[in-house]
Amino acid sequence: MSPLKIVTRDATTGPVLEVVGDLDFAHAPALRERISTLVVPPGRRLVLDLGGLEFCDSSGITALIAAHSHAQAARAEVVLASVPANTLRILQMVGLDQVFTVQPDSDAATRT
Amino acid sequence: MMCSAGERPDPYDAEDGGVPPAAFASLLEDSVEELYENAPCGYLSTLMDGTVAKINATLLTWLGLRREDVVGRMRFSDLLSVGGKLYHETHFAPLLRMQGEISGIALEMRQAGGGRISVLVSSVVKRGTTGEPLLIRTTVFDASDRRAYEEELLRGRRVADEARRQAEADRARLQQALAVLQQSLLPDTLPPIPGVEAATHYHTASSDQVGGDFYDVFPVDGKRFGFFLGDVCGKGPEAAAVTSLTRYTLRAAAVHDPDPVAALTTLNKVLHQRYTGSGDPRFCTAVFGTLEPDAATGRVGVHLGSGGHPPALVVRADGTVDPLHTPGGLLVGVLPTARFVTTTAVLAPGDTLVLHTDGLTEARTGSDRTSLFGEDALRDFLAAHAGRSPGDLIGALITLLDGFGDGLDDDTALLALGVPADRTTPDAR
Amino acid sequence: MDMGKDTVRRNNVTVTGNPEGRTVVLAHGFGCDQNMWRLTVPALSDDYRVVLFDYVGSGRSDPSAFSEQRYASLDGYAQDVVDVCEALDLTDAVFVGHSVSAMTGVLAAARVPERIGALVMIGPSPRYIDDEGYRGGFSAADIDELLDSLESNYLGWSAVMAPVIMGNPERPELGDELKNSFCATDPDMARVFARTTFLSDSRDDLKTVSVPTLVLECTQDVIAPREVGAFVHRSIPGSTLVTLEATGHCPHLSAPEATNAAIRSFLAALR
Repeated sequence: MSPLKIVTRDATTGPVLEVVGDLDFAHAPALRERISTLVVPPGRRLVLDLGGLEFCDSSGITALIAAHSHAQAARAEVVLASVPANTLRILQMVGLDQVFTVQPDSDAATRT
Repeated sequence: MMCSAGERPDPYDAEDGGVPPAAFASLLEDSVEELYENAPCGYLSTLMDGTVAKINATLLTWLGLRREDVVGRMRFSDLLSVGGKLYHETHFAPLLRMQGEISGIALEMRQAGGGRISVLVSSVVKRGTTGEPLLIRTTVFDASDRRAYEEELLRGRRVADEARRQAEADRARLQQALAVLQQSLLPDTLPPIPGVEAATHYHTASSDQVGGDFYDVFPVDGKRFGFFLGDVCGKGPEAAAVTSLTRYTLRAAAVHDPDPVAALTTLNKVLHQRYTGSGDPRFCTAVFGTLEPDAATGRVGVHLGSGGHPPALVVRADGTVDPLHTPGGLLVGVLPTARFVTTTAVLAPGDTLVLHTDGLTEARTGSDRTSLFGEDALRDFLAAHAGRSPGDLIGALITLLDGFGDGLDDDTALLALGVPADRTTPDAR
Repeated sequence: MDMGKDTVRRNNVTVTGNPEGRTVVLAHGFGCDQNMWRLTVPALSDDYRVVLFDYVGSGRSDPSAFSEQRYASLDGYAQDVVDVCEALDLTDAVFVGHSVSAMTGVLAAARVPERIGALVMIGPSPRYIDDEGYRGGFSAADIDELLDSLESNYLGWSAVMAPVIMGNPERPELGDELKNSFCATDPDMARVFARTTFLSDSRDDLKTVSVPTLVLECTQDVIAPREVGAFVHRSIPGSTLVTLEATGHCPHLSAPEATNAAIRSFLAALR
């Protein structure tokens, strides 16, 4: 198991979080914590770049849903970028591929 | 016997830095007799039957006794407290007899004023030239301080022992409470369904945690039976609360409308309303379905919907395994409105519908526990057990789960609903 | 058979002496273990088959077999005696019990009368605490004091002694180093034995004795005073009382010749 690293940067579209490592029972709360304190202005876009994601279980999915709820409450949108194939499969299984906008990479996700 | 210290070779000679003359003079006044009488410990010699033959002034002072009342009149054990006497008779004396010496035994002695003094006693048997025991020599050290310190230690140990016992009892009580809670989330028995055999299993990963998996089977109306199986995200008491809410919501919804989409939609609404805005979103995956046995054909119609749950699998008597896909069925409770997708199947004699939670497929396998068991391996496993009764199938799956050992770290629920093979036509498809 | 082997291991049973002779079982009392019989065995082994054992919780018995519930009454210790008799399939054996074991022998003989044919009671006491019309020599508070004495002496022992008691093969040097090891035992088990011993009341059980019985008492014994010896003798019709010129509670150690002579003449008269 690898530790979770979250790098936050600002793009013209809004905040971009690069999530690197494992999103599991032990580490997913850290992402939820980070997101809960994140200010996303109305109409802007929260991008979660999952290119460095190594493992994601139901706790990780919960964190992604928390991000979705957080952005929605702020009347902003959430885009997932560079989603690894197996995580995408999980998202499809639980129907979340219809809920999240999924982009191939963060360049595409931050294009206005 | 006695020799004055002055007769000994002078250890200090006339060397430079020797002891000053005045201090040395006080050393010279000392004598063996003086040392015996006033040593900082008690001395005592007794005959083999314990009668005191000689006792020093220090010990007499400690005990508040006069020499003439002790020597020849009292035994060693007479000087001890009652507890000390018992210990002396059951341990001290026999050991001394067997070993010829004994050391460092804690005893209490009685003082003339009615008080007690804690002492450490060592004894050695003096023998004659032919080895016959002559007398017992005993030294007695004042151990009041040591005893007080030991009592502190003992008290500390008793407190720690008690705390440990309490913690163990608390843990056992908690585990018992959790087991009862877990049981309350699952049906005690399954109702008989005409023409259908049902079997279930619940694997608890930890006796310290309530799991979030659930299932149920229940009659809906005269001809249909409802069933569901699912997995609440998370563990612990919060997840158990969601599980409970989920189970009773689905049961109640089915009374109103047993259609899978209607039941799952109701559950979605309830979970979303209850947990959105609580700062702690809760949701679950679930398969909900109905069975409709057809007495005329012996076949059973299945109608099921899923919200984000791994597909149910139909294990056909001939060894094929059909996943019942419901693409797009959303996790239950995430959004205010959710889409659920249904599908249907027909179970012929020898076919079994298997539902599971992902504890099974996400069990870590391999020597380094890095690969997951996976959906494909599950399908192969079921195919290899095709044609078995639901009970046998669950039995085989339990063996599989056991084989995962510590690679299985999540709760796992299993539900198998099958039509017994038609014995008159073994090849029935 | 397996159960027999288990008992032999559990109670550290030793069989010695003359295999052709009548079997004499020597049972230690509270405090020590079968080593107590060191000076008795040589006097018997030419003519008798001698069986030694440690009660569970004493000596080198198997500590894992200990159960506070079983050994909270003398019946538990009597069951050890019965188990040993059955494991060796003894018939008509002579049971020699020191101190509390004298009473354990009475209880065992009542349970398996065919196995125990005679009793030798050394320093017996059916009740240690004074009662109406009975003087045992102690008050309940005295017994509490004994339990305290045990506690203070085991404090230093328990940690150091544990490896020896458990027969820890990794630290054999401990066995030689510790001089007080004979009577060492787990403090919790010793406390149970002490409590069971000194709080017992077996006065009524004396009436059940129907086999030849020798009662050995000392002229000066704090634990079993002469009044108690007389009580035991009176309660067992036909018993023989011998008062040894000895001080203390362990005449088989302090006056071995006289003790052995008394036992031998009692045994000889049995034939």
